Amino acid sequence: MSQVRDLLSKVANKDSAAFQQLYDLFADRVYRYAFTILHNKHLAEEIAQETMVAVWKSADRFAGRSKASTWIFGIARNQALTLLRKEKRTETVAEPELVQADPSKHILAHERVMKALNRLSDDHREVVYLTFYEGLSYGEIAGILDIPPGTVKSRMFHAKRKLAEVLA
Amino acid sequence: MNTCTSIRELIPWYVNGSLSVNEAHRVAAHLAQCEGCREELAQTMCLNVEVRRAFDELEGLRAEIKTDVVRRTSGQTLASLDLGSFLLGISFGASYQKGRVPIRGDLKLLGRRIRLISPDKEVHNG
Repeated sequence: MSQVRDLLSKVANKDSAAFQQLYDLFADRVYRYAFTILHNKHLAEEIAQETMVAVWKSADRFAGRSKASTWIFGIARNQALTLLRKEKRTETVAEPELVQADPSKHILAHERVMKALNRLSDDHREVVYLTFYEGLSYGEIAGILDIPPGTVKSRMFHAKRKLAEVLA
Repeated sequence: MNTCTSIRELIPWYVNGSLSVNEAHRVAAHLAQCEGCREELAQTMCLNVEVRRAFDELEGLRAEIKTDVVRRTSGQTLASLDLGSFLLGISFGASYQKGRVPIRGDLKLLGRRIRLISPDKEVHNG
């Protein structure tokens, strides 16, 4: 049994020490993932909180058909998209706050890359994040996004082409 | 789909090490004989490093969030009671927390807190 799966089964039995270990493993990653979808740190924090609370409440419903990490990112994505729909309805979604454009500042390499990532569509940026930052397989990403594996590969293809153009 | 196209589709996951053994062998065998795909591999490896660095540079989740989450989950206080007298400098507080130490009681005497009900009794300055 993987470490995460083992922790999750302990959390299902309301083991608070296991939950805190799971929190330490995932909360920041969930936050960063939510940030790639929402572009807003306050909303991303809210998603990290709600996702970890949902993991505590529903760990006993983890069926084990996918990797535990895939299940957790799936919860985070659903929460983020629900919040996004709600925010769009009330038109309070903030402008992207990833990088402040300030011509007087020297643009660091990572800022340049983040700017390029911001020019991708949300769908493409998500695949890039889950592949390169989370190291997930295309099958796992397909599971989280609920799309065919071929679509994951094609989104990556277009994302790479766009990044190459922008970073050239 | 020609071989180069199908191999290039897999390169991002070859780079992140998540391909199945069979797929990874297929990619490696093709790379050994195709300079164009080796170039694609090199570019994707650079992109992988740059993207990881960019996301790493984002400000992380604030530590206080953990306190909130723990309070809402494993450390949720279900009930608490505080009795005391400011003039005498004596107070007694008790709480019950779901999923943690079942019952907890503290006696505060002249600014000194004495834990009365807890498996790990401890005395510290309040």
